[in-house]
Amino acid sequence: MSVIYFIFQQTMFFAIPLLIVALGGMFSERSGVVNIALEGIMTMGAFTSILFLNLTGKTMSGQGQLLIAIVIAMVTGIVFSLFHAYAAINMKADQTISGTALNMFAPAFAIFVARIIQGVQQIQFSNTFRIESVPVLGSIPVIGDLLFKNTYITTYLGIAILVISAIVLYRTKFGLRLRACGEHPQAADAAGVNVYRMQYAGVMISGALGGLGGLVFVVPTSTNFNATVSGYGFLALAVLIFGQWKPVRIMWASLFFGLTKAIAAAYSGIPFLSNLGIPSYLYKMIPYIATLVVLIFTSRNSQAPRASGIPYDKSAR
Amino acid sequence: MDYVIEMLNITKEFPGIIANDDITLRVKQGEIHALLGENGAGKSTLMSVLFGLYQPEKGVIKVKGKEVSIKGPLDANALGIGMVHQHFKLVHNFTVLQNIVLGMETVKGGMLQTADARKKIVELSEKYNLFVDPDALISDITVGMQQRVEILKMLYRDNDILIFDEPTAVLTPQEIDELMKVMKGLVAEGKSILFITHKLNEIKAVADRCTVLRRGRYIGTIDVADTDKETMSEMMVGRKVNLTVEKAKAAPKEVVLEVKDVCVKSVREGHAQNVVDHVSFQVRKGEIVCIAGIDGNGQTELIQAITGLGHMNQGEIFLNGENVTKKDIRYKNTHGLSHIPEDRHKHGLVLDYNLAYNLVLQQYFEPKFSKLGFLKKDEIGTYADMLIEKYDIRSGQGRETIVRSMSGGNQQKAIVAREVMKDPDVLLAVQPTRGLDVGAIEYIHQQIVSQRDSGSAILLVSLELDEVMNLSDRILVIFEGAIVADLDPKETTVQELGLYMAGSKRKEAGHSA
Amino acid sequence: MRKRKFDYTGVLSSVFAIVIGLLMGLLILLLCNAGQALPGFVTILTGAFTHGAKGVGQVFYYSTTIILTGLSVGFAFKTGLFNIGASGQFIVGGFGAVYIGIMCENLGSVHWVVALLAGVCLGAIWGLVPGLLKAFFNVNEVIAAIMMNYIGMYGVNWFVKSYKPIFNNIRNESKPVLTTANIPKMGLDKLFPESSINGGFIIALLTVIVVYIVLDKTAFGYELKAVGYNRNASRYAGINEKRSIILSMVIAGAIAGLAGACLYLAGTGKHIEIVDVIADEGFTGISVALLGLCHPIGILFSGIFIAYLTAGGFYLQLYEFSTEIIDIIVAIIIYFSAFALIVKMLIQKFGKKHTEMKADKGVSQSGSGKKGGVEV
Repeated sequence: MSVIYFIFQQTMFFAIPLLIVALGGMFSERSGVVNIALEGIMTMGAFTSILFLNLTGKTMSGQGQLLIAIVIAMVTGIVFSLFHAYAAINMKADQTISGTALNMFAPAFAIFVARIIQGVQQIQFSNTFRIESVPVLGSIPVIGDLLFKNTYITTYLGIAILVISAIVLYRTKFGLRLRACGEHPQAADAAGVNVYRMQYAGVMISGALGGLGGLVFVVPTSTNFNATVSGYGFLALAVLIFGQWKPVRIMWASLFFGLTKAIAAAYSGIPFLSNLGIPSYLYKMIPYIATLVVLIFTSRNSQAPRASGIPYDKSAR
Repeated sequence: MDYVIEMLNITKEFPGIIANDDITLRVKQGEIHALLGENGAGKSTLMSVLFGLYQPEKGVIKVKGKEVSIKGPLDANALGIGMVHQHFKLVHNFTVLQNIVLGMETVKGGMLQTADARKKIVELSEKYNLFVDPDALISDITVGMQQRVEILKMLYRDNDILIFDEPTAVLTPQEIDELMKVMKGLVAEGKSILFITHKLNEIKAVADRCTVLRRGRYIGTIDVADTDKETMSEMMVGRKVNLTVEKAKAAPKEVVLEVKDVCVKSVREGHAQNVVDHVSFQVRKGEIVCIAGIDGNGQTELIQAITGLGHMNQGEIFLNGENVTKKDIRYKNTHGLSHIPEDRHKHGLVLDYNLAYNLVLQQYFEPKFSKLGFLKKDEIGTYADMLIEKYDIRSGQGRETIVRSMSGGNQQKAIVAREVMKDPDVLLAVQPTRGLDVGAIEYIHQQIVSQRDSGSAILLVSLELDEVMNLSDRILVIFEGAIVADLDPKETTVQELGLYMAGSKRKEAGHSA
Repeated sequence: MRKRKFDYTGVLSSVFAIVIGLLMGLLILLLCNAGQALPGFVTILTGAFTHGAKGVGQVFYYSTTIILTGLSVGFAFKTGLFNIGASGQFIVGGFGAVYIGIMCENLGSVHWVVALLAGVCLGAIWGLVPGLLKAFFNVNEVIAAIMMNYIGMYGVNWFVKSYKPIFNNIRNESKPVLTTANIPKMGLDKLFPESSINGGFIIALLTVIVVYIVLDKTAFGYELKAVGYNRNASRYAGINEKRSIILSMVIAGAIAGLAGACLYLAGTGKHIEIVDVIADEGFTGISVALLGLCHPIGILFSGIFIAYLTAGGFYLQLYEFSTEIIDIIVAIIIYFSAFALIVKMLIQKFGKKHTEMKADKGVSQSGSGKKGGVEV
């Protein structure tokens, strides 16, 4: 049993950041802006928040410090995403190009500033955030072991974001308007919705969640930040497509990707899997191969927002 | 006299052109007022001014007697002005209700509330006989229903000045009749309607008064009941229109295009019926055969099956006696088939190529224009210059002009020149005059006739009854994918043709005629 | 005559982006360390020439790879495809070259050519996959190519690491290729003594010329560009647009594969490192292509320009700045070149409205003229 608990906990470490970032991407694309810059946004969010953890490491610790870091990561993500929003919405630039530029900028900036501040590019931090066992809940049999032991508050934050995202998207005025902008911005505009404002909101939410995802990715799996989130932003894009731009499906997709990542990282310690003799590289490749296969079957009837990636031009009617 | 809208002396200029030149439009309370004009007459600019999308250089807008300043659609809406756009502004994967409340949502505790909206929609729907299911998805309902959703959107917003922009273009005759009834019902309930169109029959049927624009100028406002169609038409075009094409009697020779039992199944899921249903016909050299019908009855699919652009589930195509059913597009292109496509921007032109490149779109690989895989740019240029000269294609920088920058009429001329210049055995001309002004229409009609006289077979697809009657030597009526009649235009009236097109008369009658 | 006007605005927009990028770079240096900012900035601009001919040779050497990846991206762009997959194509191409370079001992003087071709072929295969998916299943090529990047990177790492004859256990990278597999210097070492420049640069130049000719002078290029501009019209014209899309991606992949081969066969101590990171060269290729307006000649210059900045960046360490400032500057340049496309479009749009109206006027005048004629 303990192996299953271990794999499940590891899966959550990988799946939760994917979930958060992919949900962020969902808000952006549902508003009509493709956000390929998620990788860069994650990097920036992780950079500032980990830097905060590093600088306050001597005076602060525990969940309070982590919560402040979370806010910092989200604010950083929002600020950084504004560059994409400005290019995509105001300047009607090619969204892929603008996103690519941000993806190039983020790691270079993180290394440059880290070197200026502390001489080396790796930023160390001490992890004081792991929750051995949640009081009361952790002692529930099975479920306690699965969900409430060896965990982080970010896991619950991720789950909360999933629930809130689904409600916001489908049950609120904001969600209705956002989806209208991603499908048919002219219709939204004619109905009195400010398309540009909704698209800014979509991109900024993706910035906040992307930045948060960067922090959430680094904290449980490492003790330093080396100016990279290892392609997780791109993987989150794959999760988004895998999940067909729908919150619950995105959750399943991120769990699946998280599982393969967890197995790739931990299989040698699990007798059953290491006896199979499948090299770790295969596990690393599975999410990407699976995405290609899924794309083949879904692209014909893609649920992608129709106006996603097309700059909205008010004057062109 | 109560005017709900007064647009007085409106002038709107764009660099190099005056789109609205001192135009005055007054709509009375409770009337249906038609706004008549050709493409490019300034109708849409005037409406954009009314909705605040453009600010006029000169002129005053009054709504219900008060001078107003309209800065955007929201201002117009607040004044009770609503519009059914020509291209519907509906989100395809939203329900009817979601589309209607969008922008006017009721919220409680942060959550959307729909109960009140549903009640109001059902009430409005019953009051105006619109019969719309609030929970249906837009993608699942017919075009006519979608238009009713647009009307409900205005009513839901309590608009009392309703603007219909070319509302009948996409409707079947039955739906048009229904719409006319709905419009009259709306006026009876105290709404006022501004009806933008270029179809005189509809104005006659429903409008009280009519304002005519031509080339950005105000021509006049008339009482519809006192004015005949000829006069209105002359006001719209600026001269007596003679849409009768000068042509000699057709002298059909051998068959060059034969279509045998062609069926095309719908590609949409859940639609099992044939969109082209066992169609067979022949076209001979020296005749113009017209496929007439209301938009969406399988014309597009039939033509695409013949050219190879679309798929075909059954049947055979013969070109000059050769079975070309399985041949690719290029083979047909190079073996006597020319095609003026329905959508010139989608299929007819590579808009970002220059004019010369577009004029050799199906011939660039021929020995005349390329050698060992290399393009002969000089020959292409010379050929292009020749076509530009011969067909009077106007553009900024001659053959080097990027086609995107050319006007619609000249783009269409370029296509016609290219297709006619191939001296085809068969010329497929699909809505060749769509969206063009009268001058360009006449020109293209002349080209088609002269191509017939030089020995080509012409298969024309048209939605315009006048064009069908004037240009063709033989009319095939298509209804729901099937050919329901084969008529001689000289022995047929427009009314009779309309009955066939609407499906209320069928082949049997056609045979006896 | 034909293209001069177009190129003019294009080049102008690139220069605009470069100037802004450099100014922002200067600003960042000033914010970090005002005292050393100016000398640091001057070093970026002049560092490349520090060692005279050798320095210039190094710039050409660095530029070789990114000109080729830039061409790969630019070529696909002409067919309307965004080849973000140059990284994956680059690394599998490099792997193919390294494999042949180590394993095939008896090829003699054509050894390097065979190794180069192996790289080209593998790169082409890596481009083929997204091409096929795009053509037959309408899969977005950007997403497919991103997936192929990771599959390629992990696949190469897996293979190199598990295959002893080509794996250098101690340094965790591939072994050096045999000397017969190194690309000859082709006399360039005489021109630029002591530098790492080699025949790869000439290969890159030839590729630029070939791509230019293919795109601009041939019927094949006409087809590729037509498909890029308008797939539907291309079908109408009888062009096999699926074939064009697939070939375009295959050729783009082949060029990126060639880039990988040229780097690892250069004989300059470059080996495939076993790290789970996507190759930078592919992404730099995107920058090069965008800055060069996806035109082969433009890509040649922008590749050399970015290599020149990078070379200058090396000397920045003298001033306690890290070389990443170059990446920052390049990223800013790309960001603004995305704007510049818009600036250019605005210019064209204005021009378009102008000519359109002129043409319309022409028609209406002729119309009224005709009418007058009839009346008379």
